[in-house]
Amino acid sequence: MTTHRPPGILSSLLALAARARRGPPAVGLTPCDEVWRENKWRLLRYRATRPPAERWRTPILLVPSLINRYYVLDLAPGRSFVEYLVAAGHDVFIIDWGTPTAEDRFVTFDDVCHRYLGRAVRKTAAYSPDGVCHVLGYCLGGTLATIYTAAEPARVASLVALAAPIDFAHGGLLATWTRSPGFDVDALVDGFGNVPWPLMQASFQLLKPTANLAKLVGLLDRAWDDEFLDGFMATERWGNDNVSFPGACYRRYIGDLYRDNALVAGTMRLGGKPARLDAIDCPVLAVTFEHDHIVPTAAATALLAHVSSPDQAQLHLRGGHVGAVVSKKAAAGLWPQLSRWWAVRDTDAARGLGDDADDGDAADGHGDADDAGADDDAAADDADGPDADAPAPS
Amino acid sequence: MNLWDTWKKGFAAWESATASYLEQVLANPAVLGPAGNMLTVAMKTKSATDKATAAWWAAVGLPTRRDQERSLHKLNQLESRIADLEEQLADARADAPASK
Repeated sequence: MTTHRPPGILSSLLALAARARRGPPAVGLTPCDEVWRENKWRLLRYRATRPPAERWRTPILLVPSLINRYYVLDLAPGRSFVEYLVAAGHDVFIIDWGTPTAEDRFVTFDDVCHRYLGRAVRKTAAYSPDGVCHVLGYCLGGTLATIYTAAEPARVASLVALAAPIDFAHGGLLATWTRSPGFDVDALVDGFGNVPWPLMQASFQLLKPTANLAKLVGLLDRAWDDEFLDGFMATERWGNDNVSFPGACYRRYIGDLYRDNALVAGTMRLGGKPARLDAIDCPVLAVTFEHDHIVPTAAATALLAHVSSPDQAQLHLRGGHVGAVVSKKAAAGLWPQLSRWWAVRDTDAARGLGDDADDGDAADGHGDADDAGADDDAAADDADGPDADAPAPS
Repeated sequence: MNLWDTWKKGFAAWESATASYLEQVLANPAVLGPAGNMLTVAMKTKSATDKATAAWWAAVGLPTRRDQERSLHKLNQLESRIADLEEQLADARADAPASK
């Protein structure tokens, strides 16, 4: 890693020009197989790199935000959460929501959250000898995963809500905008069909209008650092590769969640069933970030106040909404803690390790980790990487 | 401290103050109201235009774009329903006692 101070702006510009000639970085490179495809979405399973005896028993389903590309969790080698989990012996699945086209304006919230996510959970759980799977939802994906778990808890072994908004009364500026009388969600959906991603991206940028300028200054300041540039370019590529929100789904998302706060109010329904947070009794972990201007901490931690799980924890780290998840330093902080959290909620039999399973390093897929929050301080120092404030929306 | 570092410190101070001020402006009802109304009027105009175009198209006996979207969506729904039934059938078979 380069550690020299830059000699000046001119050399930074030259370094940027040289980097630009190499083109956009490759993303989403961890080898995987498509195990299910339906309408635009598909379920991917990453190829194991460890022999069966060294793998964890319960598979993990990753649920990204509906409006962002799934590869944020598999950004680039060395910056890939998925790559880390696979190397640690986890069986990892991820939902690629795909790109909705014009006819998907009629896709409803129930279609996405009950039918599609439900299918992904069932397909993933089918790979487990116990018929269950861990679920991690990131941002809006965390909201969807929480609602699904509340309505259909049977196959969910545990729930991790990663920077996921739950209490929309604390939703920050986004909540203020969507609740303002001038914001007519029906007119928006009727006019656009699917809510176009540039509109949503613009709204995320308005959350912090100076972010692009600050990003430019940061880029000039670190242009001499190849490693920083690789991460920056990959995150930028992801941040500018968003997808539109299916219209009918968006209408209910805004109405039920942002305006009625139905999840916290206990009035949410999914697939005709009540989706009450107090129905969730599996292990729950809420991960929040100190500088997250998209999902304020209070909006995410409300999950823990409402679930009935005896096994629940909060992991609060420094960093921004995206940077703390994909920065290279997350590999030393957030990722091992999540792996350990799942590890102690796994069973030993499938790995043939019996009672010896607690020996060794949890991050390697063998060991104990009984308190995800215990390493908060250490992780906090690591999670605030050079791209911690990358402004890509999620 | 070189000139660049000094400038960065000034920029950071400006950025922090400006972001805080803009957040207040963007949350102000006096800004949100007119902005929302403008978006709503634009969307309603677009909807009305689309409807008028569709009505003209339908008048000459051709399926509208919306008709085609509905048909495609129904096909996708059918595919999903078949997948639902396949899952239910597989579950029922798995639960059924061995008959032989």
